Amino acid sequence: MAHLCLTDVSVHFGGLQALTEVSFDLRPGEIVSLIGPNGAGKTTIFNVITGVYKISGGVVAYDGQTISGLRPHHILARGIARTFQNIRLFTAMTALENVMVARHCRTRSGVIGSVLRTGCQRAEERAVRERGMAALDFVGLAAHADAVAKNLPYGLQRRLEIARALGSDPTTILLDEPAAGLNPSESRELMEMIQRIAKTGVNVLLVEHDMSVVMNVSHRVVVLDHGVCICQGAPAEVRSNPAVIEAYLGSETD
Amino acid sequence: MDYLFQQLINGLTLGGVYALVALGYTMVYGIIQLINFAHGEIFAAGGYLGVILLSYMASQGLMDSHPWFGLAFALILAMGYCAMLAMAVEKVAYKPLRQSSRLSVLLSALGMSIFLQNGLMLTQGVYDKAYPTEFTHGGFEWLGVRVSYMQIGILAVTALLLVLLNTLVFKTRIGKAMRATAQDKVMSALVGIHSDKVISTTFAIGAALAAAAGIMVGLYYGSVRYDMGFVPGIKAFAAAVLGGIGNITGAMIGGLIIGMVEILAAAYIPAGGEYKDVFAFVILIGVLYFMPTGIMGENVDDTRV
Amino acid sequence: MSAKRVILTLVAMCLMAGTATAATLKIGSLSPLTGSYAADGNDIANGTRAAIAAIEKEGGIPGFDKIELFAEDSACDPRQAVAAANKLVNEKVVGVVGAYCSSATIPASETLAEADIPMLTPASTSEKVTERGLPYMFRVCGRDDDQSIAAMKFIKDVLKAKTIFIVDDKTTYSQGLADNVEKLANKEGLKVIAHDHVNQGDKDFSAVLTKIKDAKPDVLYMSLQNSASGALMLIQAKRAGVTAAIIGQDAVYHPQLMEIAKDAAEGMYLTFGYIDEETPSYKKFLAAYEKFGKPGAYSAYAYDAAYSLLSAIKAAKSTDPAKIKAELIKGDMQGASKKIKFQANGESGSNYIIRVVKDGKFANFWDPQTGKKY
Ligand SMILES: Nc1ncnc2c1ncn2[C@@H]1O[C@H](COP(=O)(O)OP(=O)(O)OP(=O)(O)O)[C@@H](O)[C@H]1O
Ligand SMILES: [Mg+2]
Repeated sequence: MAHLCLTDVSVHFGGLQALTEVSFDLRPGEIVSLIGPNGAGKTTIFNVITGVYKISGGVVAYDGQTISGLRPHHILARGIARTFQNIRLFTAMTALENVMVARHCRTRSGVIGSVLRTGCQRAEERAVRERGMAALDFVGLAAHADAVAKNLPYGLQRRLEIARALGSDPTTILLDEPAAGLNPSESRELMEMIQRIAKTGVNVLLVEHDMSVVMNVSHRVVVLDHGVCICQGAPAEVRSNPAVIEAYLGSETD
Repeated sequence: MDYLFQQLINGLTLGGVYALVALGYTMVYGIIQLINFAHGEIFAAGGYLGVILLSYMASQGLMDSHPWFGLAFALILAMGYCAMLAMAVEKVAYKPLRQSSRLSVLLSALGMSIFLQNGLMLTQGVYDKAYPTEFTHGGFEWLGVRVSYMQIGILAVTALLLVLLNTLVFKTRIGKAMRATAQDKVMSALVGIHSDKVISTTFAIGAALAAAAGIMVGLYYGSVRYDMGFVPGIKAFAAAVLGGIGNITGAMIGGLIIGMVEILAAAYIPAGGEYKDVFAFVILIGVLYFMPTGIMGENVDDTRV
Repeated sequence: MSAKRVILTLVAMCLMAGTATAATLKIGSLSPLTGSYAADGNDIANGTRAAIAAIEKEGGIPGFDKIELFAEDSACDPRQAVAAANKLVNEKVVGVVGAYCSSATIPASETLAEADIPMLTPASTSEKVTERGLPYMFRVCGRDDDQSIAAMKFIKDVLKAKTIFIVDDKTTYSQGLADNVEKLANKEGLKVIAHDHVNQGDKDFSAVLTKIKDAKPDVLYMSLQNSASGALMLIQAKRAGVTAAIIGQDAVYHPQLMEIAKDAAEGMYLTFGYIDEETPSYKKFLAAYEKFGKPGAYSAYAYDAAYSLLSAIKAAKSTDPAKIKAELIKGDMQGASKKIKFQANGESGSNYIIRVVKDGKFANFWDPQTGKKY
């Protein structure tokens, strides 16, 4: 079973130490939230896990195998997909195309086959399309399959990001502030969706500022401050931890 | 009237060739924002491989018995060869510089262009190489307009390749990957696209189109020379910019416009023949003045590759 | 002796041998070895090489045990030609064969003149080449004014043309010829339908050819400075359905013309110096040139230029330019291309005739001197 494990991960950008010996794990079937003030290093952790940033120390392992050092597309192929804090869709493509693109790692036909439209390639294309539609349906976007991404309303673009991540059949999904900019009813729907995702057997690592979302859906919470992991545990436990209140609320009020 | 139509056919043929070459510039630019100066030389290499293959087949009598088979065979082989050549160029000259400044990559491209041109000169000689053109002379006259089979051939192959390319880019998996990589390399990597492979594929496709153009130019005009890539390279690049660099439809339109302007300037403007290139570039500057991103510039993201 | 010693001794011996036999005669050639005119340019270098080989076979030049050729690339570009000429000056060559394009020959000759190095052009036909009063400038080929007169005579007397369409590619050479022909045509009462220009290196002539097809002139005077361009125009003219008689000139006289244009070249006329291929001198040239392939337009002229130069040095027993000049003018030899007799102004006379492409070969067609067909 999928088990994501970070051990003593450090990252620095020039002189800036963005992460210092961060360790936590995401066990099968879990929804874990990563919280911390702005600039704490949450997105950096996502970038480390997905292979965008090189780490300067420590190990990231998935299913017992080291994945730190692999290229992003290889990590995706291992089953870790993500969304972005700032929506990064392929704006000129349709919703369906956005999801289909993400199945690249799960298909195999090459250029020649594509041009000649071989039978095998067609069958594959059909399967990709079906899987893409299923992902859109899952997030409630089936009706918008042929809409061009940049024309979708903001809330739906957020969902499309999730659908695209799901499109690659991940075993772990990393969601970077999926509730940002959503209204309360949209947030509620999102929460529900996260729980549905977890039910399908996909692990979820969530970065979220909206505490109601965090406290409601998470099995565990990891708190980060200035690149250091200051506390982890069940939501209730974390909420009452004085260090967390200090770090988190201290900066929340500034 | 038939004079105009005759000139339009002439312009269409020339424009078709420019369009094919322009696509390679535009696709590569779209995906890694590099002006691939070596592209003109790939076009020349295609022309040379064509003459080598066709001459050999002609000497074996194959071009008399199966001219269409011979042509198709030469075309496919040259396209394949140039695709590999361009992939090698990309690997050697551009990939190691992926993280460097754009200026260094540009210089590397210039160097590659000179290297390839000299390579052609040293291996193939400085003389023009004659194409076997015996089977290209036919044609028909229709309402006073003379159309050679070669012109029809060029237009047909160009149209076919453009349709295939459009299908590839807009209908297939690799096409989606190309468009995704063009828009956002980091993100496309994060959705599982191997961007190096996609970039390499883009070079290969552009080169294959240029190789086809090289053979058709050889057949149409009757000869190739080692430096044949330079002028069409510049014109095709201008066509790509005119159409909105990075935009596939734009490159096709740009190529046709440049071809047409050249021919019509020579046909209708006194002393137009000697200044036809000037007209082409004046149009380019004029269009860029009013539409800085080129004709298809508004939706640069839409069809960018 | 140790092995090291042996090697050192051998090296020293080689060095001494090198200095002891320093009597190498250096001559230069200037021609476009790359670019559009590379075919003709290499013919010139090869013609020069053939002459050196022929002279060496005849015993060489007393006082020198080797003749070395410095073949420089003038690229048909004035700046590069001057740079190449400077290089030859630095190499201290005693004479130069070249260059090709008049526009390159003229500035290069000024550079060579400063060092008093004799220059013999096998190919530059512009009148200006010899009209600047340079003491050591010689011309082995003919002159453009003579060439256009021959062409016009043919157009009037043989073709009996009434209308003419003129196209040139704007080089000093091609435009000079085209202008001359236009002037003569006006004088002779021919209707000049148009005098159009294309660019050097153009591949597509379809626009101008469609114009010509439409205008239906009797004659197309095609003044292009390159046999490959000529071939391109012939192919496209045939395809476009141009029926006018086409007349070219010496610059398209090259086997390449037929190699590329094939049957599209058939029936094309061109003006070219008369070369009697039956003379022993031509046969000697052909033998010396064999290893370079088929001779081009200027192979024989370059051979003659180099042969004259080397013979003059041999006769003068000196490399002093004044003495070489004296011997050149004194000389009167049957060359491969023609009878070479230099006048004081450096000219050796024109002998243009009309040739035609027939069965894939250039054939003598008409002699303007006698007004007779061959
Ligand atoms: N590519 C980079 N180069 C330099 N510094 C970076 C880079 N990426 C992140 N940082 C720095 O690392 C620190 C952590 O940034 P990160 O984006 O991970 O914070 P975050 O916890 O996601 O904050 P937010 O809640 O605002 O999204 C910040 O100081 C940021 O400026
Ligand atoms: Mg963040």
